Amino acid sequence: MPDNGGFAVAAYIAAAVIYLGYAIYLVRGGRAKG
Amino acid sequence: MTPIEAFERARRRSAVWIGVGLLLVAAVYVRALVFTPVEAVQGLAQKIFYIHVPSAWVAFLAFGILGVTSAVYLFLKDPRVDLFAASTAEVGMVFTTAVLVTGPIWGKPIWGTWWTWDARLTLTLFLWFVVLGYLVLRTAVHEPGQRARYSAVLGILGALLVPFIHVSVYLFRTMHPMPVVLRPGKPTLPGAMLATLLFSFAVFTLFFVALLWHRYALARLADTRARAEAERADA
Repeated sequence: MPDNGGFAVAAYIAAAVIYLGYAIYLVRGGRAKG
Repeated sequence: MTPIEAFERARRRSAVWIGVGLLLVAAVYVRALVFTPVEAVQGLAQKIFYIHVPSAWVAFLAFGILGVTSAVYLFLKDPRVDLFAASTAEVGMVFTTAVLVTGPIWGKPIWGTWWTWDARLTLTLFLWFVVLGYLVLRTAVHEPGQRARYSAVLGILGALLVPFIHVSVYLFRTMHPMPVVLRPGKPTLPGAMLATLLFSFAVFTLFFVALLWHRYALARLADTRARAEAERADA
């Protein structure tokens, strides 16, 4: 089995940063101009 | 209850659901990384599948809704529909960004390259730019009716790419795998992997709904306040 767990961890962290970052941005009010 | 109070309440409620959505996304992480078998050929990198594919599903769902609401706006000219379409575009953009970030991280160990100008990848990137254009357009045009009309046309054009991206793996010679769930016939995944994928689909869809609800509440709040201010200025 290939040793590529680092890529999986990197992808999961990147997705977490994107989703968590956007959720925080939105809950803090976002840009909200429509 | 005044409209502003109602939207403030929607904002608070949807914020709670965003929190619930984030906890459930964390549960997807645990289930996918710890409790789902490792795929024999691709190894651990295959686990990217459980966030990449549901993100893509939600992105296409969002842009499907964007296309429909944009068309509805052109018929009804209701500003609420325009605000809903804009909210869908912004949230869908976030999910597409996740697709375009996780895809290359999966591609590198499996295909040997971060990126290839394959039909599905290229069209998805093109869709990302169309929606970016949609969001930039909304900041550039200040007259609300004109902004909504231009946006609706661009929204429909962007949404037209979605079915094309889905069938692109059948239409072109491509490195991207074929669909394993949304395909003619039964899903081709083993049971434990399919269960994790379906759980992830459900969670990402719920998370999307919570984000969209919140984004729309913010948009309606800002719009209602702007209209009230304009009325006060006229009086």
